[in-house]
Amino acid sequence: MTTTAASKKARRRRAFTKGDRFTLSMFVGIPAFLHITWVWIPALATIALSFTYWNGVSLSDIKWAGLANYDTIFTASPQFYDALRNNTYWLLWFTFIATPLGVLLAYQIDRKIRGHKIYESVYYIPVVLSLAVIGIIWRFMLGPAGLVQVMLGYPGIEDAIPIFGNYDINTYVILGIASWRHIGYIMLLYLAGLKSVDPSLREAAAIDGATEWQTFRKIVLPSMKPVNTIIIVITVIESLRAFDLIYIIYGTSTGWPILGMLVFVNIYGQAASMLGAAYAVILFLLSIIPIVFYLRTVFRDDVS
Amino acid sequence: MSNEVMENGVSRRTVLKGAALGGIGLVGGGTLLSSCGSDKATGPVKFTARTNDETGLKIAQALADAYKAETGIDVTMQGSGDTNAFQDGISQYLQGTPDDAFQWMAGFRTNFRADQGLLVDLSENIKNLGDQMPEGFVSGATNPADGKQYIIPTTWYPWGLHYRKSTMKELGLDPENIATWDDFMKLLEGTQKKGLIGYAMGDKGGWEAMGTFSILNVRINGYDYHIDLLNGRQKWTDQKTIDVFNQFATLIPYMNKNFLDISWDGMRDLLLQKKCGAMMMGSWWANDFLAQSQEDYDDLWIVPFPEINPEFGRDSIDAPVDGVCAAANGANPAGGAAFAEWCGSEAGMLAAQGAGDTSLYANTRLDTSGYDAFNKQKLAVIGEAKNVMNFLDRDCRNDFAGTIVGPAIQNFLKNPKDVNGIVDGMQEAWDALPPLS
Repeated sequence: MTTTAASKKARRRRAFTKGDRFTLSMFVGIPAFLHITWVWIPALATIALSFTYWNGVSLSDIKWAGLANYDTIFTASPQFYDALRNNTYWLLWFTFIATPLGVLLAYQIDRKIRGHKIYESVYYIPVVLSLAVIGIIWRFMLGPAGLVQVMLGYPGIEDAIPIFGNYDINTYVILGIASWRHIGYIMLLYLAGLKSVDPSLREAAAIDGATEWQTFRKIVLPSMKPVNTIIIVITVIESLRAFDLIYIIYGTSTGWPILGMLVFVNIYGQAASMLGAAYAVILFLLSIIPIVFYLRTVFRDDVS
Repeated sequence: MSNEVMENGVSRRTVLKGAALGGIGLVGGGTLLSSCGSDKATGPVKFTARTNDETGLKIAQALADAYKAETGIDVTMQGSGDTNAFQDGISQYLQGTPDDAFQWMAGFRTNFRADQGLLVDLSENIKNLGDQMPEGFVSGATNPADGKQYIIPTTWYPWGLHYRKSTMKELGLDPENIATWDDFMKLLEGTQKKGLIGYAMGDKGGWEAMGTFSILNVRINGYDYHIDLLNGRQKWTDQKTIDVFNQFATLIPYMNKNFLDISWDGMRDLLLQKKCGAMMMGSWWANDFLAQSQEDYDDLWIVPFPEINPEFGRDSIDAPVDGVCAAANGANPAGGAAFAEWCGSEAGMLAAQGAGDTSLYANTRLDTSGYDAFNKQKLAVIGEAKNVMNFLDRDCRNDFAGTIVGPAIQNFLKNPKDVNGIVDGMQEAWDALPPLS
């Protein structure tokens, strides 16, 4: 018994030549090294720093602060709750409006409705732009003296209607702009998934007299499970990590606070605390939940 | 809490006032050191302009060119890209591979970085400038932590009510003689009735409205209360502070409705395009009026913010000092220091002036006789005040001014009825701040 086990082990070990082992350790080692250096060490350092007071310059100035930064965020930072609310709006909007719209578009385009190639291109174009560029485009269009203002009949700065600074509508404006890109992104991902659904399944359903909705719900959706998971995770993560669009439109004045922005404005060298690091940890904890969910699903699929 | 600003203010208020009233006197005193220059400084210098607009870059380039012509040392000038981003990220910038010299602001924003060892000690350079540098500016540039100077003051400007003479004449209004708050309200009303914006406001950047808050606070509660408030010795929740916000609220009906959509440059454009009456702002953008046309520049005028509480009259003003710093981590710190020093010298100021800089200079050699009417008026506006402030975001620690006061004033402008909630939040945030260093 023991000998067979040992010989098995030996045989397996022999399967790798020296060259193999070298190549393998390079392929695994270098990325792992880079990943640990540039992702895990800074992440762990951020977590550690979130329990300190530090101005970010001289290492000797770091002082232990315990939970003081978190205490400040939860009890003395009204902006934190505004940001949490805005991120929640973002998440709800993406989950219930933008993502389903993207799926719907993908489904329609996949059915090859008339002009589907044009629709596909039109919806996909914003996806090739970064959110920062999208922010610049929409800031110019909606800002004072922008195209939209001129078209509405308010060409001057003096009577430009408030949009980004109008708290009755700016949430919808921002989310609309973000969706402009997100819908195309989801559409593309879903379209790729739909192409892989076996057409005979749908044919069979049609022959059995299933309606369009029944086919989608009972046939298409279940056979697209891996894509669905990815889309859910992308939707959640995009909503939580939102930053660039807001930075371009509002700068650092936190006119429409979100968690990503609070990390930024509280971490660069203005401050004597590591409030920004604490915000980053909170954001990290919120993001890790969908990531864990995603990884579990992916690994389970791999096993089966 | 540190009381740096207080100390700064006390020393500055008397000396600066003297300098301003005396027309930056001591003109003939140029017998001491002839010019500038540490002789050690060689090698090319890199220089970052704080602005990124056309006029500002032109002036910065003129400085670089004139320095090269005088000393033979190459100066490579670059703009700051995005000015706000440059200001926000300055600590990171200075820890990396910064340019040797950069335009910057005196007060907390300099002293905080000096304390971290990020800036070159320029005390020697200030000494080299000798009597060219008015005493008030030296004390204004002095870091209270160690008594040294880390910035060479070059220019300064008052915060006041700006308007166009032609517009006010057309409206038949006289901003020169606003004696009381009621007069001021009548002026705003009169402007608004004629279809113009009474009190131009753009607070998208989050700092622009701080100017209005500060001036209202010093007018209502006095300079000492204001500085104490900014340094934690008075409470935001105090009724006196709430009164300031309530007074501020009476201005909102006269503002343009899109004040959270436009920034300071939008305000400037409103005035440039004759769309508004009064505008509370520092005068640094007067260069842009001159760049547009001499006529526009001649039309521009400034008066002090009106009196509210007779006890304090018009005895205080925001008059921030700008200057040039040298980065300790630059490739050529000695060269950066020498260039900074030169920018503060007569030659440097003349170079900037030649390129269209209309600022008030911190140099005794450039006496007021060379000033145009608008600059003389700026000096008069500053000279009238007994107390000189550096502007809220330089009189106060950065992690309070930028991240707390800015958004709080924006919230107030959105919802002026919620003053109590806003000041409660500000006080809580102040109380939660860790000690500095």
